[in-house]
Amino acid sequence: MQQVIAAQSATDGAEPQTDERVVPGQPDMWVFVLFEGLTFGAYFVVYMLYRMGNPELFLRSQARLNPEFGVANTLVLLTSSWFMARCVRSARRADYRAALVNVSLTVVCGLLFVGSKIFEWSMKIHQGLVFSTNEFFWFYYFLTAIHVLHVLIGFVVLGVVMYQLAGPARRSQEIVETGATYWHMVDFLWVIIFALIYVMR
Amino acid sequence: MSDEVPMTQDSGRRLALVWIGLSLITLLSWWLAGGRGHATFDRNAGITFGVLLLAAVKIRLIMTDFMEVRHAPPLLRRLTDGWIVLVIGSLLGIYAFGVGLRP
Repeated sequence: MQQVIAAQSATDGAEPQTDERVVPGQPDMWVFVLFEGLTFGAYFVVYMLYRMGNPELFLRSQARLNPEFGVANTLVLLTSSWFMARCVRSARRADYRAALVNVSLTVVCGLLFVGSKIFEWSMKIHQGLVFSTNEFFWFYYFLTAIHVLHVLIGFVVLGVVMYQLAGPARRSQEIVETGATYWHMVDFLWVIIFALIYVMR
Repeated sequence: MSDEVPMTQDSGRRLALVWIGLSLITLLSWWLAGGRGHATFDRNAGITFGVLLLAAVKIRLIMTDFMEVRHAPPLLRRLTDGWIVLVIGSLLGIYAFGVGLRP
């Protein structure tokens, strides 16, 4: 059913734009992903420790959030990741037009995400729920803001991918995959933030 | 599934199914926590374990399929799986034992 392309040779360092390569993108990006994963992991652990120090405060504060934002944000980011995975697949098939369309849709989802976060923050600030309100809101603003910062860096990364895809002489499957790896990291970090901030009890 | 399968060109359907699965799991976690308007804000270990384990499943799907880790060498798979176990395991452990910090 599926067309199996090319060789089984798993570990030899293959050229970009072939299908034999097995580590997606540049290995350096994976080192970065693991580093970021450990950094965010530490933030999450500190959040949980503070939360367990005063569970009632966190539950009461959580009730002041609008979980619909969290759900919508998650769906938007998951969709953006799907478009990015489709971009990688299209580029691999040398369908660069489809790859460009998909990476553009990824950017649109990212913009929706950032716009929704800004709207949510201004709503909460308007309700008097600010960074200094209590420990829950420290973490709410810190975690969501540092995550949005990573989304903004993601726009630069996606810009590089678009620039690569737009010029026939510049196309590199490796760069496309490296950018995708970064973007998916932003997505899976949000999955934990969503669970910790909006839905756990 | 076999780990020996090299990257294939024909994975569009699989990607779409993964995306649908991820979205459904997200809606399931929201439903677990009470959904729109019916949420309660009492300590609930069932909800917490449920949503954090569902988060682990989602992250693993993103890594294996979107990030193509299932085609990667075993080292990368072990590192990414190890990260999920470490982070989700620590969070659930702290919650389960109620280890807390007060500022």
